[in-house]
Amino acid sequence: MLRIVLLVLLSVPLMRQVLCAQDPDDVRQAQADAAVSAGKAQFRKTCAFCHGPDARGASGPDLIRSPLVNHDVNGNLIGQVIRNGRPEKGMPAFSLSETQIRQIADFLHSEAKIAATVARRVPTEYPLEKLLVGNAEAGKKYFNGAGGCSECHSPERDLAHIASKYKPIDLQSRIAFPPGAVPTVVVTEPSGQKFTGDQVYADEFLISLRDRDGWIHSWKRSSVKVDIHDPLAVHEELLTRYTDKDIHDLFAYLETLK
Amino acid sequence: MRKRTLIRVFSACALAAAVLCASGQGLDPASILNPTKDSWPTYNGDYSGKRFSTLTQINRKNVGMLTMAWGFQTDSSSNIGLKSTPLLVDGTLYFTEPDDVWAIDARSGRQKWHYRYHENEGLHIGQRGVGMYKGRLYFETPDAHLLCLDARSGEVQWDVVLADVKLGYWATMAPLIIRNHVIVGVSGDFNDLHGFLDSYDPETGKLQWRWSALPKPGEPGSETWPSKGDAMEHGGGMTWITGTYDPDLNLLYWGTGNPNPVLNGETRPGDNLFTCTIVALNPDTGKLVWYFQPSPHDVHDWDAVQTPVLYDGDFHGTPRKMLMQASRNGYFFVLDRTNGKPLLSAPYEQINWSSGIDSHGRPVGKREKYPSPAGTLVEPDALGATNWMSPSFNPDTGLLYVDAHRSFSLYYDLSNGKPEGFAGRDLSVWSRSSLKAIDYQTGKTRWAHDLGLGGNWAGVLSTAGGLVFTGDIHGNMLGLDAENGKTLWHAYGGGPVQSGPITYEVDGRQYILVGSNKVLYAWALPDAMLDRKQ
Repeated sequence: MLRIVLLVLLSVPLMRQVLCAQDPDDVRQAQADAAVSAGKAQFRKTCAFCHGPDARGASGPDLIRSPLVNHDVNGNLIGQVIRNGRPEKGMPAFSLSETQIRQIADFLHSEAKIAATVARRVPTEYPLEKLLVGNAEAGKKYFNGAGGCSECHSPERDLAHIASKYKPIDLQSRIAFPPGAVPTVVVTEPSGQKFTGDQVYADEFLISLRDRDGWIHSWKRSSVKVDIHDPLAVHEELLTRYTDKDIHDLFAYLETLK
Repeated sequence: MRKRTLIRVFSACALAAAVLCASGQGLDPASILNPTKDSWPTYNGDYSGKRFSTLTQINRKNVGMLTMAWGFQTDSSSNIGLKSTPLLVDGTLYFTEPDDVWAIDARSGRQKWHYRYHENEGLHIGQRGVGMYKGRLYFETPDAHLLCLDARSGEVQWDVVLADVKLGYWATMAPLIIRNHVIVGVSGDFNDLHGFLDSYDPETGKLQWRWSALPKPGEPGSETWPSKGDAMEHGGGMTWITGTYDPDLNLLYWGTGNPNPVLNGETRPGDNLFTCTIVALNPDTGKLVWYFQPSPHDVHDWDAVQTPVLYDGDFHGTPRKMLMQASRNGYFFVLDRTNGKPLLSAPYEQINWSSGIDSHGRPVGKREKYPSPAGTLVEPDALGATNWMSPSFNPDTGLLYVDAHRSFSLYYDLSNGKPEGFAGRDLSVWSRSSLKAIDYQTGKTRWAHDLGLGGNWAGVLSTAGGLVFTGDIHGNMLGLDAENGKTLWHAYGGGPVQSGPITYEVDGRQYILVGSNKVLYAWALPDAMLDRKQ
């Protein structure tokens, strides 16, 4: 009876994941996660002494970057080594069950995947505390003084609640350089007729804008006078002036605008 | 599991080899020493890496008259597009995408054959082209195999495993042929791998030598790594762009990639040789002769693989055998290529990560510009001040033409515990591209032609017609005046220009080839303009 109770208790996290998951892929993932956890526990018990608790090697080799581990499928190669040992290299044989071997293999594959992919992108849910290294007061001072930010921006108007609108990592990027503002273009034809609108396309040969009615016009650039107002030109210039302290102080300040 | 040296020999190999040798068709490696005007026999057109053509039929006076001669649509199912430089031998062009090789007629753009590699798990990021030896082509696959193809048909002659795709290797570069050596490098950034350069026998696919980009304990260079642990064994140094060769000195020049873990160097204190290094090797033995390191202890992913361009000429009044590189870290280097001694080290693009150069001509990094958990604003971004796009050197103007990027990125150290793999990432916030004409005597920019907002990926060609060909960020193919950068010709091909333009002359007509996404365009003067004896 005790055994059954324990089994049920131990299975609760897994059961919850399985029951809550609608997608068969999620179910499989939950089962896989459970196997990986079991494999990790087994690995720490049997293998970590030589290969390190994270399998990155200690007195024994790094298993995450091992060709054998990376060619293994469901324990077919790893199992042989566990069962037979490598006496020539001082590794004893272990008598583990098929399930235990499979779980260790799952854990090692999972770690190899983590090692290869963990830093492929900056996570969108980046921890705020890692970014909050600046001084909000200094940021406010920079905003209203040396940075010249207050010439275009205001904490009451366009930046009101800015820290609630963007994830911290995105807010910091936008302080460095805010993407997306479209330049305004005025095209003057030789006759003197003017066209004003949002820039659609511009290269050294062609200029193209969308007028107020939504029509897109284009001209050969050399045939007309072109005036482009780029609201981000100031930010391009700021990039060369910013210190890391300026950015982190500004970030700390703007994070107060919840 | 296959061993690296295990070779799969296809049934037709022996017979085909015998036929090929007997016929004498294809590319005699000796002819690469003096390429003819109707050929482009290596990735860079010759061994020097200049990508400079002596052809003058198309020149600054008439380039505005260029017309389309033909276009070849790959109809490829991949989204990679053409990033390769075509080879031209005996009237046939050979070029690639990651799983594809095409052979087409240089006069008409009509397909001769198409080879498609099987589905594979390698990283499909780009493919730079093939190498040729007699009647055979050499092609590196996304899963890091080296294939030998019959140049007549595209049939596979042999297939060698360069590196283990399961460990995270892949391959993209165009092999370089020197006499009977097929020289190939490998790629792989995510898994703390070991960089190396191999030489294979062109007939049999047998490994001739392997140069390791990372020393073994006790070897020269090992003093630039921690003596304990396995940091050096897993330290990176990929060899993913084709090098150059000086036949008189019999030296092979190659650039190596970044160290691993990439953006956090805490576990690898020291210069980390031979990563981010330009090396001179003996092509017959693979032995290191000299080295110069553009980025000691790199923590920004700035490979030093950019083409080491070779030029013999005056340097500040003294005749020199030079090697120049516009490196990904934003520095331009001129070296004495007989011994690797630096003659000039100067930034060619605006950068904020370096406080200057040391007494050995090497850039000195600022500690405060290392990636950090809170983010560090670094100029340039991780894609660098330039990247794999081929530069071009014109001896007439003394200018190196480089697709240069001014860029800023916030670099984040993402390590959690012991750093591994990339160990961090950068978020690029702004970049702008320009074609820069760099005076090799001073490193100063003579002129810059704006190529637009963002990172541009077009290679460069220059010609004795006083022209520079490249592409801009908008997909325009450009013909510029080599003296001042003024646009003399342009055409929009409907997609990004991501490959190296080439030129050649057949039947008395000069062609300029530029790739645009999945189309290869051939441009020439109108037939009616050309006074030719057929």
